Parts: sequence; structure tokens; C-alpha cells
Amino acid sequence: MISDIESRLKSKFPDSLLNVVSKDKRITFSVKKEESYPILSELKDIGFNHLSDVTAVDYIDEQEFELTYHLWSHQEKIRAIVKVRIPRESPTVKSVVGLWTGAQIHEREDHELFGINFEGNPNLLPLFLEDWEEIPPFRKDFDTRKYVKEKYYLEEEGYPVVKG
Amino acid sequence: MKKLTPKVIKSKSEARAWSVWAINYFTACGFMELLPWVGSGYDMERFGILAVPSPRHADVFIIAGYVTRKAAKRIKMIYDQMASPKYVLALGSCPMTGGMYWDSYATIKRVDEIIPVDLWIEGCPPKPENIGHGIVMAANAIKGGLEGH
Amino acid sequence: MDIEEKEIAFLTVPFGPQHPASGHFHALLKVDGETVLELEPHPGYLHRGFEKLMEYRIHPQNCVLVDRADVLDPFSCELGYANAVEKIAGLEIPGRGRYIRTIMAELGRILSHITWIGVLSMVLGFDSANKIAWGDREKILRLNEIATGGRLYPCYLCVGGVRRDISQEFVDETSKALDYLEGQLSFYDYFVFKNETFVMRMEKVGRMSAEEAIDLGATGPNLRACGIDYDVRKDEPYEAYSKVKFNVVTRGEGDAYARSLCRRYEIAESISIVRQLLKNLPDGPYRMELSPVWAAPEGESYFCLESARGEKCFHVVSDGSPCPYRVKIRAPSFLHTLVEFPYLAKESTIADIPAIYWSLDSCPADMDR
Repeated sequence: MISDIESRLKSKFPDSLLNVVSKDKRITFSVKKEESYPILSELKDIGFNHLSDVTAVDYIDEQEFELTYHLWSHQEKIRAIVKVRIPRESPTVKSVVGLWTGAQIHEREDHELFGINFEGNPNLLPLFLEDWEEIPPFRKDFDTRKYVKEKYYLEEEGYPVVKG
Repeated sequence: MKKLTPKVIKSKSEARAWSVWAINYFTACGFMELLPWVGSGYDMERFGILAVPSPRHADVFIIAGYVTRKAAKRIKMIYDQMASPKYVLALGSCPMTGGMYWDSYATIKRVDEIIPVDLWIEGCPPKPENIGHGIVMAANAIKGGLEGH
Repeated sequence: MDIEEKEIAFLTVPFGPQHPASGHFHALLKVDGETVLELEPHPGYLHRGFEKLMEYRIHPQNCVLVDRADVLDPFSCELGYANAVEKIAGLEIPGRGRYIRTIMAELGRILSHITWIGVLSMVLGFDSANKIAWGDREKILRLNEIATGGRLYPCYLCVGGVRRDISQEFVDETSKALDYLEGQLSFYDYFVFKNETFVMRMEKVGRMSAEEAIDLGATGPNLRACGIDYDVRKDEPYEAYSKVKFNVVTRGEGDAYARSLCRRYEIAESISIVRQLLKNLPDGPYRMELSPVWAAPEGESYFCLESARGEKCFHVVSDGSPCPYRVKIRAPSFLHTLVEFPYLAKESTIADIPAIYWSLDSCPADMDR
């Protein structure tokens, strides 16, 4: 039941859960970066054994990345969504590979496309791109239209014309 | 009873035109409209086209869809290994000008930059009837003496 | 006497991007004789940066772009994007629109499974079944063309409902096509699924237990073949699925043959769902009228649906402008190919690698996005 899970977490971590919302079989809350690993570990013990996704969003105005962990429990049929904010200057966070094996590939993708460092992940080599020399492409300060227009198209008013 | 006369193939070009072997390379999303040609919807074997696994056996390279920078090196390697005379067909609008992914940082906008192309077929993806029109046009051109490269 | 220490070197075989059995995907196999010791996947040959491209386009343009994210099941991508955006704004879609969306989603699932039968047969060397299955696909593509105008990439399910209404001709042709496909299913049972060679090549190959499957992140028919009944259509119902009756197909063995049978019985369930929906189709409007530059309010949402491959989720963040701020697609093939396939390929033979790979039903375009 959702209320049991909420009370069990609040009793074990009384000051750490912020903005708790629980309705429609989903419980959502945010945590600070230092307490993310113990809370995720406790959620795994409660019964959230399926990790759906690890999403990263770039909030460039607030100079922060936000990581979201989406978990599902096959037993109770409840979804848990945990949000963590990390600074944009030197983004590092502890990896959850020890808890769910499938997390390894989600973190490798976020490392390549955003530049976030996950401590403890055994393999963070590039996945999709070969010989990429610019900044990580999914960050908000990489303008893909400007990059493509300089590299492949001629200078024209109106619509782009392909070189060659 | 009427006497049957066999059809005689008169020239090397005519023999080449009706047995064009294509290399087996599933490129990208434009390839999905070649599945009816491989299957029994619009069978391509009646035109003499087979899908072969080795580049050394192939005559034509069908590039169906967009080409990423990572795949471009491999396409050039396969093209170099094919034996002359060889032909290249480009399907879709992505190899022509970039198509729907014109603003993507990872795709090549003109496949002409890496290999020379003989026939362009437009569409996103082109319908199977369009592809058939292109195949027959190419076979007639080869019969008429189009030199491969 | 000195005994020299020598290093044992293993042979590395590429299962390359140009290969009749690999799609557009590259893997390096480390082999010792015929036994595979390790498999290292190298994806990325189809990467376009999809999620970045969607940040520059307004919602009707994204409806056209997003169905190329999974080329074998395009209706599931459109459904996911439209629902995720509508959830942020709290829009209520009229009943007829919901029923039509569900019908098209189930037809897309049947199309994907029939294509999968063809590809698996081709890779195992069974050319006859390949040609027949890819000929049966044409019936469903013809239905797509009658309803939407496009065979493969229909651009039909948009934010607010569906683009146009379905006609009586579509309803009649769908009933005829479903009767034909039901007859073909008994033919496939006899020709493919009970064929001795097929059973010999797929039974006891690539087996995983239920705990391993959950830990590796498996969903869809791959997980249901191990005995866990997780189907998003039943556990978090969306669209019109709460109004139809259907069964969730599970098997217990967890090997490649069990996964194949799960998909075969799912085709039969989908045919029954479409028949129930066509019988009870309500009248009324089929979409909400929204302007092309309609903007969702600030907020975010996470919407999960059951595509033909597994659990597909859309995480959309909106900042009040007509273009979305961030879209993340959780693709089921990403985990099947890059985490489960290396795990199952250990201690198998080289000849079993295509059978294991295609029994997991992964799409390279879905994996790379």
C-alpha cells in the first residue's frame, strides 16, 4: 500500500524527503544528492526491483542537472519517482549499478550525452558517437542547427542549400 | 503444335540487366518499404534481383535511408570491395538533401560526398510502386549500355 | 626443467553491421573454438539525436517525427507522445477518439509480430515462412492506407485526438482482414511453431530465470515468458483498455521457444480486442480543436505504455512554450540488446547467436534513437 511505504520511508529518513506527492498509485519526491544512494537502497529492499529509466534534464538557468530515477514494484504494482539535483559545474553522483544491473547502460548514455560522471560504473566508454570533439550534444548550450549550418550548408537567406 | 523458339540474349548488357544482385545491408528507416520487395508482396526475384551476403558477389548497392557518420566509413569500405561494374541506388529524401533529419549533428546530408550515385528515388519512404518504377528504369538503362563504375 | 608460460589468445569474430542476420548492429564475439566466451556490443550506427531534434519543433511537427523512433511499431510512439503532452495539460479526449486510438495501436502490434515471424524465419534459414509472413503484412498496411493515407509512417494520432474520422469502408475491410489473419494463425501453428526443426533450434536456447530477467531490466514478452505477468495495459490502464476483456499471456520456461509462443498467442488476443472495440464504437466527435501553436502549461509528466517490444515510457518536460523543453524516450530494445543479449550469449555456440538475438525482438532504430 502506498501509505505504508510513505510512512516507512518517513520514519527512517525523517528530514530528507522533500515535496512528497502520492496519488494514482505513484509516489514522487525529491532528495538531496548525498542521501540519494541510501534512500534508493531502502526502496530496493522494500520491493522496488524494476528500474525503468534514469533521466537527465539540463536546467541551464539554475545551473543544475536534475536526475530522475523511475522505479516499479512488481509485487505492489506501484511506481516510485525520485528526483536528485546536482551542480552543473562538476556533475558527479554515486552509481546504482550495485542495486540494479540494468542501470549500467542508462548511466553510460547519460555520461556520453550530458557529461555527468557516475562513480563506480565499470564502463563509461562512448556508446553512440565516434570521434566526437565538441561538448556533450544534449546540453542546452550546444545549438545543433548552428553546428549543422556551418558544417554542411552554404550561407543563404531563407532555406539552407546543401554544399557540394 | 506451335514451335517454341527460345529467347536469345544478344548482348552482354542485356545479360547484365536482368541479373542484378544487391548486397544484403539493412540500412535505415527507408528500408521498410523494401520488405514487400524481398517478400511475396512485390517479389523482386522475378526481376533477377537476389540479396547476397558478400560484397564481392554484388552488383548494386541500395542505400535506403539516412547515413550516419559512423556508418559512412563502413559504406565506403563495402563500396570499395565490390567488383566493377557496379551501380548505386539511393532511396528516399535523406540521402539527397538531409531530409527529415536535416538538423541532426550525426547524419550526412548528401551521400554523393562519399560514393557516386546512379539513380535517385524520391519519397519518405518511397512507395513500393515507385521503387519498382526505379528498378525497371535502371534495368533498361543498363540494357541500353549504361557503364557501371 | 623450466616450463615456459604462454598466453592463450582467443579469436575475435565480428558479427558486423553488414551481415544477413544482424540488422544494423555490430557486436564483437570472443570465441574459443565454437563456444562464445564474451560478447561486446557496439551500437550507434542509426543514432540521430532524436530527443534533441524534438526540442526545436512544435507539437504537430513532432507527431510526424516521432513515429520514426521505432520503425516496426510506429503507432506506439505517436500514442506515447500525444498522451504525455495531454497529461501535462489535463485534456479530456472524446470517447470516439480514444476507441480509434486503441484500435490503431492493436493493429500496429499485430503488424509488428507478423514482421517478427518473417525476420526470425529468414535468419534461421526458413525462407518459405519469411516470404509468406511478409506477404501477410500487406493486409494491415492496406488498412493503414485506407484510414490515414500513409502505409508505414501514418502521422495520425496527434495531440487532441486523431486527425480524421474512420469510414465504413475501414470497418468492413478490417473485419475481413481479421478473419483472414485468424485463418493464417492456424497455418503458422502447423508450418512454423510445431515444425520439428524450429522447435529443436529454439527450445532450451537462451534461457533466463525470473530473478535474472527482472534484474536485467526485461519487459514485454521477454519477461512474460519467465512467468511474471507485467502488462501495462492491465496494471496502469490507458485509452480504452479498461473497457475490453483480454488475457495476459505468460509461459514458465524462459527460453527462446517460450518467447515465440508468447508473441503468437498475443496476436490472437489483439484480434479479439479489435473485434470488441469495433462492435462498441461510440458516436460523437473524434478530436479536440487546438491551434497548431498550442502550448502546454509548465510541468512534466511520465507516461508508460505497452508497445510490441515491451514497456515504452515518455518523460516530457514543458516550460510553457509551443516546443517541449525535454523529451526522453525509454526504449525497450535498449535494454534487450545491450544488457540481456551479452548475458545470454555467454556459453552458447556461434550458430545459436542469431536465434537468441531475434527471439528477443529488438529493433536497432529503437535502440539508437
